[in-house]
Amino acid sequence: MGAIGETSAQLAIRDPDTRLMLGVRDDEAGAFEQLVANYQSRLVGVMHHLVGNAAEAEDLAQEVFLRVYRARKKYRARCKFSTWLFTIANNLALNVLRTRKRRPAVSLSLRDSGPLGARPAEQLVTAPSGSQPIRRMQRQELTTVIREALDKLNERQRLAVVLNKFEDMNYAEVAEVMGLTVKAVKSLLCRARMNLRDALKDYVFMDGQPIPEPPEGE
Amino acid sequence: MARQANLNNDEWADLTAYLDGELDGNRARSVEARLNRDPAVRAEAEALQKTWQMLDYLPQPEPSTAFTSKTLERVSVMRPAVALPRPPGFKHSWIYGAGWAAALLLAGSVGFTGVSLLSPRPPPAQSLTQSDAAALEQSLVQDLRVIENKRLYEQVENIEFLKELAQQDLFGDDG
Repeated sequence: MGAIGETSAQLAIRDPDTRLMLGVRDDEAGAFEQLVANYQSRLVGVMHHLVGNAAEAEDLAQEVFLRVYRARKKYRARCKFSTWLFTIANNLALNVLRTRKRRPAVSLSLRDSGPLGARPAEQLVTAPSGSQPIRRMQRQELTTVIREALDKLNERQRLAVVLNKFEDMNYAEVAEVMGLTVKAVKSLLCRARMNLRDALKDYVFMDGQPIPEPPEGE
Repeated sequence: MARQANLNNDEWADLTAYLDGELDGNRARSVEARLNRDPAVRAEAEALQKTWQMLDYLPQPEPSTAFTSKTLERVSVMRPAVALPRPPGFKHSWIYGAGWAAALLLAGSVGFTGVSLLSPRPPPAQSLTQSDAAALEQSLVQDLRVIENKRLYEQVENIEFLKELAQQDLFGDDG
């Protein structure tokens, strides 16, 4: 491994993935494979929340890994590896979402079409409770409604929510990934949370019924 | 947007930051005080919190089983171009070329040595005395005609046949 600066050395000691990435930079055998194994689930998950499509999420996650590999020789451990990785993911996802916005395509996902598509909110609220199939259906429809609420956020709000909620990043980390100030992230997340609250206000208390348990292992 | 609680933008931002655990010191205490004395703000905070928890319903997708292999396959295509900018087979052709060159050099050396050993060599000049040198010169002068016609003599089997050729008028116009 080549000589690294003091900051890089400190980061490498604190963050094992930074150490791993320095190994990728120096073409160490197996380092890149290990990095893919460590981050593939998180990256595909984040991309799925951002683009809402499993196949596209995988393609984008793969593209992020390829960009990491191409840029490996320029890698300097100035921040945690995950921050660097999600910065690349952020740039890629924002490009894709903006392109999609300019050229709206017809969605072929199951949730948007056909007999299993989303139903009016009234059906969900007035559905009788007690039987498991009904509750399962409620849960599925609730998932659809939440997904749509997330999709309605603008790209930046959505990305901030995904990083903060699903990647457990604090405001400072989200700011670093998105190239914003902490104050801007605070404002962005506030608006995002209020928009989500408005979009989901009819479902928050489910007409006085308890919210079904979140699905396990999905 | 229906805002029942009377909060300005900064106060809303502080409220959500407080719920995210991102507020400390005086501002956190200020939000706590507001929550304690204002039921409307408390209701808003509860709604924001429950909405945030609803995001847990979204499925956490896992990558397909082929994801790792596909990714590494795409990277492996890039690897030779980055790490080894030479055409494939370059290393082997270099070895073959060097092998051929060595074989030719060896064959040349063996041939030269063989010819050197088998060919008769004149004795070194410094070992000849003056009388020996004169005798050798005399011998060469004496055999000059034989030497000159060596090629022709090689074509005949024996000297008798050559003498017969010289005596008989085989072609009629010799004269």
